[in-house]
Amino acid sequence: MAKKITGPQMIVANRLLDGRVVFMRADGSWSTVAGDAGTAEDEGGVAALETLAQKSAHANEVLSIEVIEATIRDGKPFPAHMKFAMQATGPSVRTDLGYQVSPNWER
Amino acid sequence: MYAYDKYDHAITNARVAEFRDQVERRVKGELTEEEFRPLRLMNGLYLQLHAYMLRVAIPYGTLSANQMRRLAHIARKYDKGYGHFTTRQNIQYNWPKLSETPDILQELAEVEMHAIQTSGNCIRNTTTDQFAGATADEVADPRPYAELIRQWSTFHPEFSFLPRKFKIAITGAALDRAAVKWHDIGLILKKNDAGEIGFEVLVGGGMGRTPVIGKTINEFVHERDLLSYLEAILRVYNEQGRRDNKYKARIKILAEDLGAEEYARQTNEEWARIKDQPLDVPAEEAARIKSFFRAPPLPVLPDDVPAVDELEKKNFLFKAWVKNNTNPHKVPGHVNLTISLKPHGGIPGDATAEQMDLVAALADEYSQSEIRVSHEQNLILPHVAKKDLPAIWADLDEVGLGTANVGLLTDIIACPGLDYCSLANARSIPLAQAITERFDDIKRLQDIGPLKIKISGCINSCGHHHAGHIGILGVDRKGEENYQLLLGGSGAEDASKAAILGPGFDEHGIIDAVEKVVAVYLGEREDGEEFLAAYRRLGPAVFKEAVYGAR
Amino acid sequence: MALVNLTGVTPGTWDVIDTDSAPREGAAVAVPLARLADEDETFFKAVGSVGAIVPTDAAYTDLAPLANKLAFVVIDFPAFGDGRGFSLAVRLRKDLGFKGEIRATGPVIPDQALFLKRAGFDTIDVADDREAAFKAALERFGAFYQTDFVGQLSVAHLRHSKTDSSDKDADGERKAS
Ligand code: HEM
Ligand code: SF4
Repeated sequence: MAKKITGPQMIVANRLLDGRVVFMRADGSWSTVAGDAGTAEDEGGVAALETLAQKSAHANEVLSIEVIEATIRDGKPFPAHMKFAMQATGPSVRTDLGYQVSPNWER
Repeated sequence: MYAYDKYDHAITNARVAEFRDQVERRVKGELTEEEFRPLRLMNGLYLQLHAYMLRVAIPYGTLSANQMRRLAHIARKYDKGYGHFTTRQNIQYNWPKLSETPDILQELAEVEMHAIQTSGNCIRNTTTDQFAGATADEVADPRPYAELIRQWSTFHPEFSFLPRKFKIAITGAALDRAAVKWHDIGLILKKNDAGEIGFEVLVGGGMGRTPVIGKTINEFVHERDLLSYLEAILRVYNEQGRRDNKYKARIKILAEDLGAEEYARQTNEEWARIKDQPLDVPAEEAARIKSFFRAPPLPVLPDDVPAVDELEKKNFLFKAWVKNNTNPHKVPGHVNLTISLKPHGGIPGDATAEQMDLVAALADEYSQSEIRVSHEQNLILPHVAKKDLPAIWADLDEVGLGTANVGLLTDIIACPGLDYCSLANARSIPLAQAITERFDDIKRLQDIGPLKIKISGCINSCGHHHAGHIGILGVDRKGEENYQLLLGGSGAEDASKAAILGPGFDEHGIIDAVEKVVAVYLGEREDGEEFLAAYRRLGPAVFKEAVYGAR
Repeated sequence: MALVNLTGVTPGTWDVIDTDSAPREGAAVAVPLARLADEDETFFKAVGSVGAIVPTDAAYTDLAPLANKLAFVVIDFPAFGDGRGFSLAVRLRKDLGFKGEIRATGPVIPDQALFLKRAGFDTIDVADDREAAFKAALERFGAFYQTDFVGQLSVAHLRHSKTDSSDKDADGERKAS
């Protein structure tokens, strides 16, 4: 990562099979809840998270891995930037259908 | 409508099987994501912010009632009950699962549909006039030629890995409703002095970060030579189009670098070498395809329908709907009816499964089972008898499809923007919703008259903002959504590039700015002068003064 | 590496030589196009047969003066998405009348097997574990919408030809006679 790390970072990806947005826990497993994400604040920590994420991608569990900035809300991480925040919540339109109402993907 | 024969079925089914196999290989890890990505894209499967997105082709925007019902079924069974009709006359589903897409493709194949080449660096769905074959003002029906191009471009052995995406549009009418000048290749149907049918061929139109209006490279290519001529254009592009920089890879850049004359020369030189090869279809095949598009046997009916007049007197919204949402059919007593997918406060181009089913039922009952999708993201019943308008309106109005705003300011084109799209800088949909709420008054909209607002969430220009009378472009300003205002574009026969008026705005600012632009127009217009004409006469200065003067 | 044979040619074997190494006398040699352009007749006489290794950014016109001296051509794809390789093969067959073997090398993928065949390639160099996938892909489609330059007529022509097999087909949708 060439980007300078200025605060907590977290990892977001999409599940291969259904595309669902997932956030990586500190142990390398994936959660649909942003607040479960593991965070790192220094280069070594971020690299370690990335390695775990790549391993999962190679095991064909997820794709489109991104390291993103996190803000800490009530002690839990949440994507800092709007685009990724929207990944956590679902689109800002049709809020009757997004992750807001169906976090586990039921239709 | 075109009906598949055994070859078409075999090819489409083989594609479904192939994709099923590709998905299996991907899931097992035999294909890496890098290898799988272009393969899934060539079947219209993207990965977006929240999920996969599947783009299904609606070839040249024509579909049957049955096909529409299948689209509704797919929305219900594999998605979240809705779909999004696009500026390329296709439909996108926002929530399909990778593991289920082969089944979706199978369901599509059963009704002679597919998602082939709806993305990727290949020849995409050919688009055309939504009123094709049904409008009073056309030289010939463009759809048989679009079908010829569909077949020729499907799995082309040489042109499936082009430098960049490639889009072709055809118009059969002098009034260009297909934005042909903004396409990689634009085709305008014409008759020569001998009364033969052919095409004026334009090359090198495109939007994106370098908007270019296509230039004519041949005034008349005979219809029998269409495919070999296209092949020559594509070969020159495939060989020489830039591959080092994806922003410079479209044919528009090559055509600018070579110049239209040189592009024409190289095309003609190559065409001379191949035109006698059996690349074009035999006359019997051209006739076979044309036979599917014969005009339906509509009775000539009176143009005056007292029941319609009666209801118009009683109901202003119905009257406005008839005025704005219908276009003259070539058979007297009939119209092409546009169903607006732009309810005020709604999402441009979205339709629920229930709405799709209703449109299908109306098409069965009133429009020869035929439906069209326009590049302006509306649905069309092409063959409606005027006398049926009151009944149709009542049905549509009940499910929120009765908005009388076609061609007016709230008939906004908007791309999915940041709500769905991973490339976006800013949201498009909420802006369209806010503008339509601000202008939620059909009387006022009719007074303003024809005005096309087009919104893209980033410079890729999926929302055609370069061609908007008012164009809005979402940009990222230090992590905040910001919107640029452009004026004076046109996607029609008088195509022009919209120009940026000045610094960008936040979401509230851009809506106020649109309001001010409209106010200037209303104050300055001459008798009967439409917005675009007024802008062209006045120039940007007065608009700039009104919008930025106080800043 | 395995070799996928698309057309049933007898595939050649050859030494690959680079920009400055000397060929074995009398051998079949594959030589980078850039070097071949500089070699004179003595080079061609010294070896048994010569093939060109052609990068996809070569213009087919660069091959024109050489085509009749070449026994085979290797088109080397830097990436499978580089579609210029397909046009090069088409040009060799269509415009330069090249009859020798055309081989694809580089990271082409199984899903391109039929495209390669129909563009004029004879053989593809593939990783061993990909051979089966390439062969399966060759069987995938039986009808094509384009006439190509290696003898396949488009469906548009087949539909109206006397030998159209659809007459015999059970689906019975098509012409009866
Ligand atoms: C949501 C996923 C989408 C993605 C990732 C996407 C991506 C892109 C990209 C990258 C381009 C620029 C291509 C270039 O200039 O080389 C483009 C152009 C375009 N897109 Fe999309 N698009 C999406 C959705 C749509 C939708 C929903 C529509 C229709 C409403 C659409 C219509 C177009 C059109 C008409 C162009 C052509 C503009 C031109 O001529 O340059 N796209 N798209
Ligand atoms: S214009 Fe940009 S934001 Fe809108 S759909 Fe296209 S790529 Fe996405």
